[in-house]
Amino acid sequence: MHIVDGALSTPVLVAGAALAIAGVGYGLKKMPTEKIPAAGVLSAAFFVASLVHVPIGPSSVHLILNGLAGLVLGWAAVPALFVALLLQAVFFGFGGLTVLGVNTVNIALPAVAVYYLCRPGIVRASPRGAALWGAAGGALAIALTTLCVGLALALSGEEFIPAAKLVFLTHIPIMAIEALITGAAVYLARRVKPELFATFAAPAMGSLTP
Amino acid sequence: MKTTAATLLLALVLAGGTALPALAHKVVAGAYAAGDHIEGEIGFSDGTMAGNALVEVLAEDGSKLGETRTAQDGTFTFTPTRRAVLIFHADLGSGHVAEVRLEPSELPASLAAAGAGGSATAAAGPAATEAAAGGSETAAAALRVTDAQRAALAEAVRNEVRPLRREIIALKERNDMQSILGGLGYIAGLFGLWFFLSARRQGQKKAQG
Repeated sequence: MHIVDGALSTPVLVAGAALAIAGVGYGLKKMPTEKIPAAGVLSAAFFVASLVHVPIGPSSVHLILNGLAGLVLGWAAVPALFVALLLQAVFFGFGGLTVLGVNTVNIALPAVAVYYLCRPGIVRASPRGAALWGAAGGALAIALTTLCVGLALALSGEEFIPAAKLVFLTHIPIMAIEALITGAAVYLARRVKPELFATFAAPAMGSLTP
Repeated sequence: MKTTAATLLLALVLAGGTALPALAHKVVAGAYAAGDHIEGEIGFSDGTMAGNALVEVLAEDGSKLGETRTAQDGTFTFTPTRRAVLIFHADLGSGHVAEVRLEPSELPASLAAAGAGGSATAAAGPAATEAAAGGSETAAAALRVTDAQRAALAEAVRNEVRPLRREIIALKERNDMQSILGGLGYIAGLFGLWFFLSARRQGQKKAQG
């Protein structure tokens, strides 16, 4: 899922960096103070999730958990995921510093999309329904991420359809696993701590933006 | 808020309970001189090798010198023709790119000898001529006798060292507990600082208002 240094053309890198900076800035502005610890926890979870590997045929793919981050954090997921990606690049050599912007966009943009698409269902539905919405969000985030990766590779000269198809197909098992994990996490949170999703709803967000 | 974060953490730990052992997934590649050619291997850091992948050999300025393919076990060989920087570049798809750079000093020693034979190219640096001068001092006949033996010896040593090289590459790619904990520490610190700044700003606003 992490594109490495040298795989993309310069215009794509610059565009990705610009989008990532804008997203991080907007996410920081949108972040209510109460949400910051949750952002830290999810950032840490994402940081570690990449070390969890699922073997697929000759290769293997790793967990991403960007759907869960998006569902809980909304726009605040962008800075949270950015920090985790930066530290992954520095500590583990995943991706690289020049592609950091593109990787941030590839992973955080689907998180934000899932926030808008699946979050209303989670807040409104019963815990069981919320789990289903969460599962859908977890899988959708990965699907969108593979599309973004395919697009970034395509813009750098690779054929879009084969490139995107390969990334998409190898990530189908991860989609299933992430759906399970995100659904379970949402179900648990709704059962044990229903206000996790309620406190971060729209009013709290509006009250703190200057 | 504390309980919320704790709940989240608990949910994640429960979710992570089903997880498999931690391994990194990135491209690892190495190349080294072996006799008169260069041997290398390309694979993923989880232990799988990149079989049947196209490896392009580039000069320092990006121009193509040749290409080769990896075998099923991810190894490839290439015979360089002149002493210059070589860059091995393989695109494994999905944004996985392997690149290994070999400096002239890391190229096969026989290349330098070839340079002394009269066909010294512009690329053969001062190091090559120096080595050739040193070589001509020794008794030529004695050298010729041991040439075959020396090659056999070098081959044996290479075979002995190959697993070690692999182990070193694997070791380099291992993510130890220290860097994981270090990363988590950075995240906790950064978000703590951010929380502090945000809370202070809120307090100031309240004091003014």
